[in-house]
Amino acid sequence: MSATTTIVTEEPEPREVQTAGRRFDWGQPFVYLIALVVAAVAIGPVLYVFTGGFRTTADLNANPAGLPDPWTLQNWVAVLTAPRFWGNVFASTVLAVSTTVGVVIAGIMAAFVLARYDFRGRQGLYTLFAAGLMFPLTVAALPLTLLLRTLGLHGTYLGVIIPGIAFALPTTIIILVPFLRAIPEELEEAAMIDGATRIGFFWRILLPLAKPGLITVGILAFVASWNGYLLPLLVISTGTLPQELWPLPLGVTQFSTQYSQDTGAVLAYTSLAMIPALVFFLLAEKRIVGGLTGAVKG
Amino acid sequence: MATLTTPGSAVSAGPGPTPTRRPRRDSGRKRFEIILFVTPALVLFIGFVILPVILAAVYSFYNLPPAFQWSHLADPARFIGLDNYVRALTTPEFQRAIGNTFFILVMSLLIQGPIAIGVALLLNRRLRGRSIFRLLIFVPYVLAEVIAGLAWKLILQPTGAVNATLESLGLGELARNWLADPDIALWTIFFILTWKYIGFAILLMLAGLQGVPEELGEAAQIDGASWWQIQRHITIPLLGPTIRIWAFLSIIGSLQVFDMIWVTVTPAVRRIATESMATYMVQQGQFAGQPGYGSAIAVILFVISLVIALIYQRFALRRDLAGAITRPGARSKRTGVR
Amino acid sequence: MRVFAGVAAAGLAVGALAGCSAGDGGDNGGDTGGEDVTITWWHNATSGPLPAVWEEVAAEFEAANPGVTVEQTGYQNEELQRTLIPNALAAGDPPDLFQVWPGGELRDQVENGYLMALDDVIPDTISSVGATVNPWQVGGATYGIPFTFGIEGFWYNTEQFDAAGVAAPETFDDLVDAVGALRESGSTPIAVGAGDGWPAAHWWYQFALKSCSPKTLAAAETEFDFSDSCWVEAGEQLQDFLGVEPFQDGFLGTPAQQGAGSSAGLVANGQASMELMGHWNAGVIGGLTEDQQVPAVLGWFPMPGISGAAGDPTAALGGGDGFGCSADAPPQCADLLAFILSEDVQKRFAASGSGIPTVPAAVSSLEDPNLVMVAEGLAEASFVQLWLDTAFGTTVGNAMNEGIVNLFAGTGTPEDIVTRMQDAAATL
Repeated sequence: MSATTTIVTEEPEPREVQTAGRRFDWGQPFVYLIALVVAAVAIGPVLYVFTGGFRTTADLNANPAGLPDPWTLQNWVAVLTAPRFWGNVFASTVLAVSTTVGVVIAGIMAAFVLARYDFRGRQGLYTLFAAGLMFPLTVAALPLTLLLRTLGLHGTYLGVIIPGIAFALPTTIIILVPFLRAIPEELEEAAMIDGATRIGFFWRILLPLAKPGLITVGILAFVASWNGYLLPLLVISTGTLPQELWPLPLGVTQFSTQYSQDTGAVLAYTSLAMIPALVFFLLAEKRIVGGLTGAVKG
Repeated sequence: MATLTTPGSAVSAGPGPTPTRRPRRDSGRKRFEIILFVTPALVLFIGFVILPVILAAVYSFYNLPPAFQWSHLADPARFIGLDNYVRALTTPEFQRAIGNTFFILVMSLLIQGPIAIGVALLLNRRLRGRSIFRLLIFVPYVLAEVIAGLAWKLILQPTGAVNATLESLGLGELARNWLADPDIALWTIFFILTWKYIGFAILLMLAGLQGVPEELGEAAQIDGASWWQIQRHITIPLLGPTIRIWAFLSIIGSLQVFDMIWVTVTPAVRRIATESMATYMVQQGQFAGQPGYGSAIAVILFVISLVIALIYQRFALRRDLAGAITRPGARSKRTGVR
Repeated sequence: MRVFAGVAAAGLAVGALAGCSAGDGGDNGGDTGGEDVTITWWHNATSGPLPAVWEEVAAEFEAANPGVTVEQTGYQNEELQRTLIPNALAAGDPPDLFQVWPGGELRDQVENGYLMALDDVIPDTISSVGATVNPWQVGGATYGIPFTFGIEGFWYNTEQFDAAGVAAPETFDDLVDAVGALRESGSTPIAVGAGDGWPAAHWWYQFALKSCSPKTLAAAETEFDFSDSCWVEAGEQLQDFLGVEPFQDGFLGTPAQQGAGSSAGLVANGQASMELMGHWNAGVIGGLTEDQQVPAVLGWFPMPGISGAAGDPTAALGGGDGFGCSADAPPQCADLLAFILSEDVQKRFAASGSGIPTVPAAVSSLEDPNLVMVAEGLAEASFVQLWLDTAFGTTVGNAMNEGIVNLFAGTGTPEDIVTRMQDAAATL
């Protein structure tokens, strides 16, 4: 199994622990029960938030754990017609897409060199990026804000995008390098013989082959940026951007403190804030989970 | 924040892949290509990751006002050497913060690990609805930590769903002020964190179990071993690399916990009961107007993380790096396609 | 792959544009010569009747001044004070008109040259508010003008008091008795928003005010001299009071103003009988009721004196809110400020029940009888001490508040509070 195929899209069928025709597996219903419980615990709170959006605040206060009575759409309407929600979505989209694009581009370029060239200091460079995993954002956040102020990026989207790219690079490079290494040398030599340059090889052959890996790192970077809170908290919420242009995590918390007496609306807003992440996850689920699977196996 | 998104092989490849030899072509041109390709990532990384951490170290030696400028660093009266560090390590609040952070770290390993392994072992068989199950348990992981925290904050409020459910079940005395009672607030936070990350752990373990050959289990079964014996002596040890990787990710994540604590508890409860190193750092450095002190906390947090990571990599992950035992991909990785 | 490159390029371009345009979005550099002026205005009104008042003010000012746009935004109080404004000022990108807190913060801001001196620009406005402007002056120059000023007192539920057979306490011992009676009649005596820190701290401030002589208070503010034993006594009195268990359960988790579970919310919904809070509380409580009206059962009485204490029994703790202009703001900013302080707007402010106006002529427009009582209390107070955390500035103030919250939680001592304050002062 080479590295390329470790990041597969589908995990193979799970294998039976016992052969067919044996005694009845008394554990099977028990297993289903466990699976049901775990799934219910995982989903329960999310469902609660969603159904809560259909309730009036008075209903929530009177009967916190009950079903909607009456069912109302007023919260959803209020939130969906408020410009700030769409502004939040727009902001998050811009930030996440830009960060992802930046990460993928810078990451694949650096990973390419680290994976397929041999030069002095290459090991050191790789270790440098790997060591970046030990530099969490939380540690760098405070002085980062001063740096951003000096560069005039405080309170801007770029002030979140650029550090976002930088902090996603270690993970990206570490995933991509083994991936790229696994592309057979023969391909490269064949390309050279045909007169292509290294860069041509990179552009025409390597990139298409690297697509699964790129998608995986892209997804990781997108999700990390979309869900990011600390960096926008320090850079954007302390700046002059109006709240309508804040990314979702900030926007949701801000909404919840500002309208905290309107529990129904807060639940609706939170639900809507969850939706993009959930939709994205559903679309990319195979890749994300498959990537995890493959990475661990490989 | 950097989440637990790093897949396993990323971390296990610590010291770097084995170098390969390639025929040299045009050396100067090659150098140009290398520089061209590496520079963007390198500049970004050094400028926005390494440099701020170094700056944090510099600021930590100063007593800086809230809105400080570079010029303040030149003022000798502001240079106070290690005072910030001494203050941090002797302040009860920070000591508590360190304790709380390690509480979450240790509890995550002790509680999430066995649960995840247990569930994964149980579910490692042909199950109908298996992919739906995978989907559902991963949902909490996908949500932003603050959103998960907000949802739980609403559910756990004194007049919220949890307490109401307990009452309707006749268990009213169990109802607590989950997020306000200093004695249980940290446990509540830990519970929410577990809810968020256990799905990821289960999935990771399930994936790791794919690498355990079923023949071994079958052979043991023929020899009369019980299911539990098989798990204990064969499966779990073979799951070792996966467990160690998950533990590493869990440790790193626990050390940095911030979002969840920041949005779910009030400032007072946080300070008394649930401060983590990161929340203390942000509170002091940003909101209490003490950037120098906050930077010292950042450096301490960094050093603690680094030491733990290095020790862990050296001792726990070392065997995995050598590609030992039965990892199907190991052999081909080393000798196969190169 | 070309498509990929194209998408990538587009993505980066969008990101860069968004970054650039967002960065220029807050246009508030002194656009004095131009036709169109935009004034950004940050205030802390997010609930109750006040946001609507400010909106009206902004709209009217725009109508009266063609070419001028006023962008006003309300932010949560703590965020505004501790994060948004300090960071905006430090970044060199502040709003034009914003909330200015007196005391230590004001002094810092003036030292850094962040604020516009108003004496030459709108002198009449300054003199119209009388002595209440004093906390907003540094070195004889005025940098902010308060639009509301009042003293702290108890907002209480007259019905629940009657049910318990209690009248508004006149001495501190009466208050302790009242707490006992209220408990027995089944209600939670006092709500405190200890979750946010400062509401709990105000209790300590009151004890300090009643225990320390005016001279000691002054020395503390200017020289950070906390050597007098009254500072420790204040903590001891608070500790004794805490022993009576006057507050709601889980007070550490109760915020001050956010939501039905906040201390204001508890009073608004009859789940607590009283709250020690500033003059703005009528509006806040009103905003947390079902019908968005100040409850008719709400009453007010001032903090009673402590017999045998060294402090002045008629001293009051108070403060106000004011606005100031950033140093680089366009001159229309000062005009807007003058408009806010105009008698007409102040009357509307008073009528809305949001607080006590500083312009004396507007006091008669107060409709809420409680606010009238607060205004009277203000007039009768021998002197008004500014909130201590405001007076002492962020560094000492924060340390002090943290120490007090520890006392509430049972993890700190009265001496700790003073030690913290002294340590914090030493770092300045």
